[in-house]
Amino acid sequence: MTVDYADVVIAGGGIAGASAACKLAAGGLSVVLLEKQEEYRDLVRGEWLAPWGIREAQRLGVYDCFGAGGGWEIREWMTWDEAVTEDEVEAVDMTRFIPGIGGPMSFPHHQVCELMAAQAVDSGARLVLDAARVTVTPGREPVVTYQTAEGPQEIRARMVLGATGRGNTVGRQIGVRMRNSMHHWGGGMMVEGMDGWPADVQAMGTEGDVMFMVFPQGYGRARLYLNFPTVNKLRYRGPGGVERFLAAFELDCLPDRGKAVTEAVPAGPLSVWPSVSSVPEGPPLTEGVVLIGDEAGNADTVLGTGLSCALRDSRTVCDILLGGDDWSPAAFAPYLEERDFRLERLDFGASIISRLHVEFGPAATERRRRVRKLMAKNFAAQVTGLLNMVAPEDVPEFGFSEFFAERLFRETA
Amino acid sequence: MNKKRIQVNDVELAYVDEGEGDPVILLHGFPDSSYLWRHQIPALVEGGFRVIAPDLRGFGDSGKPQEIEAYGMQTIVNDVVALTMKLGIRRPHIVGHDWGAAIAWMYAFLMPRRLDHLAVLSVGHPGVFATPSLEQRAASWYMLFYQFPGVSEELLRRNGWRLFKEIMGRDGDYDRYLRDLARPGALTAGLNWYRANRSPEAELRPARPFPPVLAPTLGIWGAGDKALLEEGMSASGKYVKGPWRYERVEDAGHWLPLDAPDEVNKLLLGFLGTEQAAHEERRPRRRL
Repeated sequence: MTVDYADVVIAGGGIAGASAACKLAAGGLSVVLLEKQEEYRDLVRGEWLAPWGIREAQRLGVYDCFGAGGGWEIREWMTWDEAVTEDEVEAVDMTRFIPGIGGPMSFPHHQVCELMAAQAVDSGARLVLDAARVTVTPGREPVVTYQTAEGPQEIRARMVLGATGRGNTVGRQIGVRMRNSMHHWGGGMMVEGMDGWPADVQAMGTEGDVMFMVFPQGYGRARLYLNFPTVNKLRYRGPGGVERFLAAFELDCLPDRGKAVTEAVPAGPLSVWPSVSSVPEGPPLTEGVVLIGDEAGNADTVLGTGLSCALRDSRTVCDILLGGDDWSPAAFAPYLEERDFRLERLDFGASIISRLHVEFGPAATERRRRVRKLMAKNFAAQVTGLLNMVAPEDVPEFGFSEFFAERLFRETA
Repeated sequence: MNKKRIQVNDVELAYVDEGEGDPVILLHGFPDSSYLWRHQIPALVEGGFRVIAPDLRGFGDSGKPQEIEAYGMQTIVNDVVALTMKLGIRRPHIVGHDWGAAIAWMYAFLMPRRLDHLAVLSVGHPGVFATPSLEQRAASWYMLFYQFPGVSEELLRRNGWRLFKEIMGRDGDYDRYLRDLARPGALTAGLNWYRANRSPEAELRPARPFPPVLAPTLGIWGAGDKALLEEGMSASGKYVKGPWRYERVEDAGHWLPLDAPDEVNKLLLGFLGTEQAAHEERRPRRRL
């Protein structure tokens, strides 16, 4: 057994963990970053960063990792949907929500994480790939053990950051319970050869029993996602799954019946998952251990704010760690307070979006039609849509009242 | 290919040094590194040459001074001279692409006695560029664009390097350039090449007389080059006193070594070391 010492051990080299490693190492702390993969591969994770998340990346000093890792600015948002007639389709300009930032970014998740990990290493962090069976013992001097090809390893640290995502590897060990709910299933795949698709345009919409998303990444590449009802969750599993997934984009609401997408070429694995949102029942930390990113709780992926949250967590926690010597749980009170507030808003918004856009059948379609009318009549009813673009605290408060949600659904029921 | 490191002319240069035989120096351009030559290096080594491909200052694994003055053409030519001297090379063949071709021309002006054959890809003699046609000015607009210090880093980087990606398209090693340019100091260093050597005033100044090139010279231009026009290369012959050869490659754009590796290899192997310089000085040195 090799025993080591570090100021901070970070379990998980994803968006939250790798960005924190960059910031902390640049701040002069000794950092060990543990990643379970042997090398970074496409695991079909979230690949859309909201404009407010881009600002977090800039503050963390990892902005270039996104651009260089294949990040692509998306400028317009089209809603192609069975509830929207062809002449009603409008392009929403996404470049003006936050001054100086521009539109959201779509990027290959694993490449960006790999570059962030490399930047952390350049700043002096130690990266351990292929780190298996991570255990965390909290306390004033927390201890992390893990397994590599060289055998069992142990690190004594001053602080452990749990950033293992939805797997909750660290959270479970320190007794943070999650309240989980699942509204639908989702799947995703990277494609290339989508030259017929405008590179500036992302699209979402619902038709039949799928809600689709297309996020271009430049050079004819795009990340495709589908959300679909739980009853039919295995539809893209098994032989021919990739073909069925692509064929699902043959939709009447898409230009040319989705030809640009259905003729695209798979450029990565197809992955399918239950779309779970997890809200922690208690504070996501304990003595010597703080959770960040999805591991600290997350909203439904349909909102697309998971990565922005991961970066916000990373930045907030790093600022506390670099700002003083008090690393006790009490020092993280501002983080917990801000995070609770944020997750509550995102969870609330995501549940509205899920109910509006990821429910299927004639009644749901009719409701979407009526909601669009209501939103056209009263612009304020679009407030939930802001959650994609600006930070949750900047969205007007009325959008998070039960009263608003009730009216929205009652008036359109 | 393993890179070696050497300290020359106040900068650390990383370079590839492979093979044995007559030395060939390969000079890359913007925003490349010695990696640009990965198809040429084994072919030339196979053909019996010693190949030396440095990452020029500001690029790849070499040092990246942040001052504009550190990127004057003469300074960079001095890097090449110092590199060859430290490696004990007296009279190499020089092959350059893009900025590397500009450096190669400059080397030919300043160091005629330390040059065997000269091969320039994409970028022709600066005399042709001193009076650019309107067409050439339009094609190279982005060269002027890089002039605004401080602003253009920001503009090129913003929105996930969107503007840079639009300028670069899918040319060259487009997937790799950003990784290189995102390294600390790399973007400023790369842009300083333009800032140091192409001020707007210099663009407008009339041609200076350039010393004639005595070395046998091969010019290669790709028919799909979007930044540089054919006249820039084809008209370069009038500035070359030595044997001049011009080759147009149909199925290649600006990045000839990547777009048409076999053709470029064949042209280089068929050219280097085959000609005698036109007015090579043969006089024995007078002794006192």
